[in-house]
Amino acid sequence: MSVRTLPLELIADLDNEVRGLHARVSGVIGCVLATTDGRQVSAVVDNEADPQRVSAMVGSIVALGETIGREVMIGRTQFVAVSAVGGMILLQRVPAQRDLLVVGTLARHNTNLGILLHETGITAVAAGKILDEWLGRDRQSA
Amino acid sequence: MSGELKLLFAGAMGAGKTTAIRAISEIAPITTEATNGDFTECDKEETTVAMDYGEITLPTGEKLRLYGTPGQARFGFMWPILAAGALGVVILIDNSRPDPLADLELYIDAFRALADAGAVIVGVGHMESCPRPSLEAYAERLAALDVVVPVMPADARRHSDVVGMLEILLQQIEATWAYDEVMGGVSACGLMGANS
Repeated sequence: MSVRTLPLELIADLDNEVRGLHARVSGVIGCVLATTDGRQVSAVVDNEADPQRVSAMVGSIVALGETIGREVMIGRTQFVAVSAVGGMILLQRVPAQRDLLVVGTLARHNTNLGILLHETGITAVAAGKILDEWLGRDRQSA
Repeated sequence: MSGELKLLFAGAMGAGKTTAIRAISEIAPITTEATNGDFTECDKEETTVAMDYGEITLPTGEKLRLYGTPGQARFGFMWPILAAGALGVVILIDNSRPDPLADLELYIDAFRALADAGAVIVGVGHMESCPRPSLEAYAERLAALDVVVPVMPADARRHSDVVGMLEILLQQIEATWAYDEVMGGVSACGLMGANS
Protein backbone atom coordinates (compact mmCIF):
# COMPACT_ATOMS: atom_id res chain seq x y z
CA MET A 1 0.00 0.00 0.00
CA SER A 2 1.33 3.41 -0.91
CA VAL A 3 0.40 6.63 0.84
CA ARG A 4 -0.10 7.98 -2.66
CA THR A 5 -2.84 5.42 -3.16
CA LEU A 6 -4.69 6.04 0.11
CA PRO A 7 -8.21 7.13 -0.77
CA LEU A 8 -9.09 10.69 0.09
CA GLU A 9 -12.01 9.63 2.29
CA LEU A 10 -9.67 7.49 4.41
CA ILE A 11 -7.23 10.38 4.79
CA ALA A 12 -10.16 12.69 5.62
CA ASP A 13 -11.32 10.35 8.39
CA LEU A 14 -7.79 10.10 9.79
CA ASP A 15 -7.48 13.90 9.54
CA ASN A 16 -10.58 14.22 11.71
CA GLU A 17 -8.99 12.12 14.45
CA VAL A 18 -5.74 14.09 14.34
CA ARG A 19 -7.54 17.42 14.41
CA GLY A 20 -9.86 16.16 17.13
CA LEU A 21 -6.94 15.35 19.42
CA HIS A 22 -5.37 18.71 18.74
CA ALA A 23 -8.61 20.52 19.48
CA ARG A 24 -9.76 18.70 22.62
CA VAL A 25 -6.54 18.46 24.64
CA SER A 26 -5.26 21.67 26.11
CA GLY A 27 -1.53 21.93 25.64
CA VAL A 28 -1.31 19.77 22.52
CA ILE A 29 0.42 21.83 19.87
CA GLY A 30 0.71 19.21 17.20
CA CYS A 31 -0.20 15.74 16.08
CA VAL A 32 1.31 13.77 13.22
CA LEU A 33 0.02 10.54 11.73
CA ALA A 34 2.58 8.83 9.53
CA THR A 35 3.22 5.49 7.90
CA THR A 36 5.63 3.19 9.71
CA ASP A 37 8.12 3.90 6.93
CA GLY A 38 8.00 7.61 7.61
CA ARG A 39 5.53 9.16 5.19
CA GLN A 40 3.14 11.85 6.32
CA VAL A 41 -0.54 10.89 6.25
CA SER A 42 -2.05 13.67 8.32
CA ALA A 43 -0.62 16.45 10.46
CA VAL A 44 -1.52 19.55 12.35
CA VAL A 45 1.39 21.45 13.89
CA ASP A 46 1.17 24.88 15.49
CA ASN A 47 4.86 25.70 15.54
CA GLU A 48 7.44 25.85 12.75
CA ALA A 49 8.25 22.12 12.78
CA ASP A 50 8.14 20.55 9.32
CA PRO A 51 5.52 17.74 9.46
CA GLN A 52 7.17 15.85 6.58
CA ARG A 53 10.47 15.63 8.46
CA VAL A 54 8.70 14.92 11.74
CA SER A 55 6.78 12.08 10.06
CA ALA A 56 10.04 10.42 8.98
CA MET A 57 11.45 10.84 12.49
CA VAL A 58 8.33 9.42 14.16
CA GLY A 59 8.68 6.30 12.02
CA SER A 60 12.36 5.94 12.91
CA ILE A 61 11.97 6.57 16.63
CA VAL A 62 9.03 4.21 17.08
CA ALA A 63 11.07 1.52 15.31
CA LEU A 64 14.12 2.27 17.46
CA GLY A 65 12.00 2.24 20.63
CA GLU A 66 10.54 -1.13 19.73
CA THR A 67 13.96 -2.48 18.79
CA ILE A 68 15.54 -1.53 22.11
CA GLY A 69 12.49 -2.88 23.93
CA ARG A 70 13.05 -6.25 22.30
CA GLU A 71 16.80 -6.06 22.87
CA VAL A 72 16.49 -5.55 26.62
CA MET A 73 13.68 -8.09 26.79
CA ILE A 74 11.02 -5.88 28.37
CA GLY A 75 8.28 -6.96 26.02
CA ARG A 76 6.19 -5.04 23.55
CA THR A 77 6.86 -1.31 23.50
CA GLN A 78 3.74 0.73 24.25
CA PHE A 79 5.01 4.22 23.51
CA VAL A 80 8.15 6.32 23.23
CA ALA A 81 8.33 9.68 25.00
CA VAL A 82 10.77 12.53 24.51
CA SER A 83 10.75 15.11 27.28
CA ALA A 84 12.47 18.42 26.53
CA VAL A 85 12.77 21.80 28.24
CA GLY A 86 10.12 23.31 26.02
CA GLY A 87 7.71 20.42 25.75
CA MET A 88 7.31 16.75 25.05
CA ILE A 89 6.43 14.41 22.22
CA LEU A 90 4.76 11.06 22.61
CA LEU A 91 5.09 8.46 19.88
CA GLN A 92 3.29 5.17 19.44
CA ARG A 93 2.19 2.64 16.89
CA VAL A 94 -1.41 2.63 15.70
CA PRO A 95 -2.93 -0.71 16.75
CA ALA A 96 -4.45 -2.28 13.64
CA GLN A 97 -4.54 -5.55 11.74
CA ARG A 98 -1.52 -4.37 9.81
CA ASP A 99 1.36 -2.33 11.26
CA LEU A 100 1.08 0.56 8.87
CA LEU A 101 0.71 3.75 10.93
CA VAL A 102 2.36 5.58 13.80
CA VAL A 103 1.19 8.65 15.68
CA GLY A 104 3.16 11.42 17.39
CA THR A 105 1.65 14.02 19.72
CA LEU A 106 3.54 17.20 20.52
CA ALA A 107 2.59 19.05 23.71
CA ARG A 108 3.70 21.93 25.88
CA HIS A 109 5.89 21.08 28.88
CA ASN A 110 3.11 21.70 31.39
CA THR A 111 0.76 19.20 29.80
CA ASN A 112 -0.22 16.32 32.03
CA LEU A 113 1.58 13.22 30.79
CA GLY A 114 -1.22 10.89 31.84
CA ILE A 115 -3.81 12.83 29.88
CA LEU A 116 -1.47 13.01 26.90
CA LEU A 117 -0.92 9.24 27.02
CA HIS A 118 -4.64 8.56 27.35
CA GLU A 119 -5.71 10.88 24.56
CA THR A 120 -2.95 9.79 22.19
CA GLY A 121 -3.96 6.21 22.84
CA ILE A 122 -7.62 6.99 22.08
CA THR A 123 -6.58 8.65 18.83
CA ALA A 124 -4.35 5.73 17.89
CA VAL A 125 -7.14 3.21 18.53
CA ALA A 126 -9.61 5.30 16.53
CA ALA A 127 -7.15 5.61 13.65
CA GLY A 128 -6.58 1.86 13.80
CA LYS A 129 -10.32 1.17 13.56
CA ILE A 130 -10.63 3.47 10.57
CA LEU A 131 -7.69 1.74 8.90
CA ASP A 132 -9.06 -1.74 9.65
CA GLU A 133 -12.47 -0.85 8.24
CA TRP A 134 -10.86 0.47 5.10
CA LEU A 135 -8.62 -2.58 4.76
CA GLY A 136 -11.70 -4.81 5.19
CA ARG A 137 -13.61 -2.94 2.49
CA ASP A 138 -10.54 -2.99 0.26
CA ARG A 139 -10.28 -6.78 0.63
CA GLN A 140 -14.00 -7.29 -0.11
CA SER A 141 -13.87 -5.20 -3.25
CA ALA A 142 -10.70 -6.95 -4.48
CA MET B 1 43.76 2.05 14.39
CA SER B 2 42.88 0.43 17.66
CA GLY B 3 40.02 -0.54 19.93
CA GLU B 4 36.58 -0.60 18.41
CA LEU B 5 36.12 0.71 14.90
CA LYS B 6 32.98 1.95 13.23
CA LEU B 7 32.02 1.76 9.57
CA LEU B 8 28.86 2.78 7.81
CA PHE B 9 26.86 1.26 4.96
CA ALA B 10 24.92 3.80 2.92
CA GLY B 11 23.02 3.81 -0.35
CA ALA B 12 19.56 3.91 -1.83
CA MET B 13 16.64 1.81 -0.64
CA GLY B 14 17.10 -1.75 -1.87
CA ALA B 15 20.83 -1.34 -2.59
CA GLY B 16 21.71 -4.10 -0.12
CA LYS B 17 22.84 -2.39 3.09
CA THR B 18 20.86 -4.61 5.46
CA THR B 19 21.76 -7.66 3.37
CA ALA B 20 25.47 -6.80 3.46
CA ILE B 21 25.48 -6.45 7.25
CA ARG B 22 23.54 -9.71 7.59
CA ALA B 23 26.05 -11.40 5.28
CA ILE B 24 29.03 -10.71 7.51
CA SER B 25 27.89 -9.92 11.03
CA GLU B 26 29.06 -12.28 13.76
CA ILE B 27 26.15 -11.28 15.98
CA ALA B 28 22.46 -11.38 15.18
CA PRO B 29 22.03 -8.05 13.42
CA ILE B 30 19.88 -5.38 15.00
CA THR B 31 17.40 -4.09 12.47
CA THR B 32 14.61 -1.52 12.40
CA GLU B 33 12.46 -2.57 9.49
CA ALA B 34 8.96 -1.34 8.74
CA THR B 35 6.42 -2.20 6.07
CA ASN B 36 7.44 -0.55 2.84
CA GLY B 37 4.66 1.75 1.73
CA ASP B 38 6.19 2.93 -1.51
CA PHE B 39 6.55 0.32 -4.19
CA THR B 40 7.41 3.02 -6.73
CA GLU B 41 10.73 3.45 -4.91
CA CYS B 42 11.44 -0.26 -4.47
CA ASP B 43 9.29 -3.40 -4.44
CA LYS B 44 10.68 -4.76 -1.15
CA GLU B 45 8.16 -5.75 1.51
CA GLU B 46 10.13 -4.08 4.29
CA THR B 47 12.53 -1.17 4.58
CA THR B 48 14.99 0.05 7.21
CA VAL B 49 13.67 3.16 8.94
CA ALA B 50 16.33 3.95 11.54
CA MET B 51 19.45 1.79 11.41
CA ASP B 52 20.97 -1.66 11.13
CA TYR B 53 23.78 -2.85 13.35
CA GLY B 54 26.21 -5.73 13.19
CA GLU B 55 29.71 -6.63 14.32
CA ILE B 56 32.71 -8.49 12.99
CA THR B 57 36.13 -9.12 14.47
CA LEU B 58 39.17 -8.24 12.39
CA PRO B 59 42.23 -10.53 12.23
CA THR B 60 43.94 -8.02 14.54
CA GLY B 61 41.32 -8.72 17.20
CA GLU B 62 39.72 -5.32 16.81
CA LYS B 63 35.95 -5.20 16.73
CA LEU B 64 34.40 -3.55 13.70
CA ARG B 65 30.98 -2.07 14.38
CA LEU B 66 28.84 -1.90 11.26
CA TYR B 67 25.98 0.56 10.94
CA GLY B 68 23.50 0.59 8.08
CA THR B 69 21.62 3.77 7.25
CA PRO B 70 18.05 4.02 6.02
CA GLY B 71 18.25 4.75 2.30
CA GLN B 72 15.45 7.18 1.53
CA ALA B 73 16.32 10.88 1.49
CA ARG B 74 13.57 11.62 4.02
CA PHE B 75 15.65 9.70 6.56
CA GLY B 76 18.65 11.92 5.83
CA PHE B 77 18.47 13.22 9.40
CA MET B 78 19.78 9.81 10.51
CA TRP B 79 22.85 9.92 8.28
CA PRO B 80 25.01 12.42 10.25
CA ILE B 81 23.86 10.82 13.51
CA LEU B 82 25.10 7.43 12.36
CA ALA B 83 28.22 8.88 10.70
CA ALA B 84 29.49 10.42 13.95
CA GLY B 85 32.78 8.73 14.78
CA ALA B 86 32.76 6.57 11.65
CA LEU B 87 36.09 5.78 10.02
CA GLY B 88 34.57 5.36 6.61
CA VAL B 89 31.55 4.47 4.56
CA VAL B 90 30.65 1.76 2.07
CA ILE B 91 28.31 3.30 -0.49
CA LEU B 92 26.21 0.62 -2.19
CA ILE B 93 24.69 1.47 -5.56
CA ASP B 94 22.00 -0.56 -7.29
CA ASN B 95 22.73 -0.41 -11.02
CA SER B 96 19.15 -1.41 -11.84
CA ARG B 97 17.75 1.82 -10.40
CA PRO B 98 16.67 4.58 -12.79
CA ASP B 99 19.68 6.86 -12.27
CA PRO B 100 22.50 5.17 -10.34
CA LEU B 101 24.97 7.99 -11.00
CA ALA B 102 22.56 10.46 -9.38
CA ASP B 103 22.37 8.07 -6.40
CA LEU B 104 26.17 8.12 -6.26
CA GLU B 105 26.23 11.92 -6.20
CA LEU B 106 23.58 12.05 -3.48
CA TYR B 107 25.51 9.78 -1.12
CA ILE B 108 28.93 11.24 -1.91
CA ASP B 109 27.47 14.65 -1.09
CA ALA B 110 25.89 13.33 2.12
CA PHE B 111 29.21 11.87 3.30
CA ARG B 112 31.41 14.50 1.70
CA ALA B 113 33.86 14.81 4.58
CA LEU B 114 34.60 11.09 4.52
CA ALA B 115 34.80 11.13 0.71
CA ASP B 116 37.27 14.01 0.78
CA ALA B 117 39.38 12.01 3.23
CA GLY B 118 39.34 9.02 0.88
CA ALA B 119 37.42 7.00 3.45
CA VAL B 120 34.77 5.74 1.03
CA ILE B 121 34.39 2.70 -1.19
CA VAL B 122 31.64 2.33 -3.78
CA GLY B 123 30.14 -1.11 -4.41
CA VAL B 124 27.91 -1.46 -7.46
CA GLY B 125 25.31 -4.21 -7.45
CA HIS B 126 23.29 -5.87 -10.25
CA MET B 127 26.02 -5.17 -12.81
CA GLU B 128 25.50 -8.55 -14.47
CA SER B 129 21.89 -7.81 -15.35
CA CYS B 130 22.39 -4.05 -15.76
CA PRO B 131 25.91 -3.38 -17.04
CA ARG B 132 25.26 0.34 -17.62
CA PRO B 133 26.53 2.64 -16.25
CA SER B 134 29.93 0.99 -16.40
CA LEU B 135 32.57 1.17 -13.68
CA GLU B 136 34.41 3.66 -15.90
CA ALA B 137 31.33 5.90 -15.88
CA TYR B 138 31.34 5.77 -12.07
CA ALA B 139 35.04 6.63 -11.97
CA GLU B 140 34.47 9.56 -14.33
CA ARG B 141 31.58 10.85 -12.22
CA LEU B 142 33.67 10.56 -9.06
CA ALA B 143 36.53 12.40 -10.76
CA ALA B 144 34.10 15.13 -11.77
CA LEU B 145 33.12 15.37 -8.11
CA ASP B 146 36.82 15.64 -7.24
CA VAL B 147 36.69 12.39 -5.28
CA VAL B 148 39.26 9.61 -5.61
CA VAL B 149 37.86 6.41 -4.13
CA PRO B 150 37.62 2.83 -5.40
CA VAL B 151 34.59 1.51 -7.25
CA MET B 152 33.99 -2.20 -7.61
CA PRO B 153 31.19 -4.57 -8.52
CA ALA B 154 29.68 -6.13 -5.40
CA ASP B 155 26.95 -8.57 -4.52
CA ALA B 156 25.76 -7.62 -1.04
CA ARG B 157 24.54 -11.19 -0.46
CA ARG B 158 28.04 -12.57 -0.93
CA HIS B 159 30.20 -12.69 2.21
CA SER B 160 33.44 -12.50 0.23
CA ASP B 161 32.33 -9.41 -1.71
CA VAL B 162 31.34 -7.51 1.43
CA VAL B 163 34.46 -8.50 3.36
CA GLY B 164 36.56 -7.62 0.31
CA MET B 165 35.11 -4.11 0.25
CA LEU B 166 35.78 -3.65 3.96
CA GLU B 167 39.38 -4.83 3.60
CA ILE B 168 40.05 -2.38 0.77
CA LEU B 169 38.37 0.44 2.65
CA LEU B 170 40.34 -0.19 5.85
CA GLN B 171 43.61 -0.46 3.93
CA GLN B 172 42.80 2.77 2.19
CA ILE B 173 42.06 4.53 5.48
CA GLU B 174 45.28 3.23 7.03
CA ALA B 175 47.27 4.32 3.99
CA THR B 176 45.74 7.78 4.20
CA TRP B 177 46.65 8.05 7.86
CA ALA B 178 50.19 6.83 7.18
CA TYR B 179 50.57 9.32 4.34
CA ASP B 180 49.34 12.16 6.54
CA GLU B 181 51.79 11.18 9.28
CA VAL B 182 54.69 11.15 6.83
CA MET B 183 53.62 14.51 5.46
CA GLY B 184 53.32 15.86 8.98
CA GLY B 185 49.69 16.75 8.46
CA VAL B 186 46.60 15.74 10.29
CA SER B 187 43.73 14.10 8.48
CA ALA B 188 41.33 14.97 11.23
CA CYS B 189 38.98 16.87 8.98
CA GLY B 190 37.66 13.87 7.15
CA LEU B 191 37.54 11.19 9.77
CA MET B 192 34.75 12.70 11.77
CA GLY B 193 36.41 12.48 15.13
CA ALA B 194 37.82 9.01 14.71
CA ASN B 195 41.23 10.20 15.91
CA SER B 196 39.94 11.95 18.98
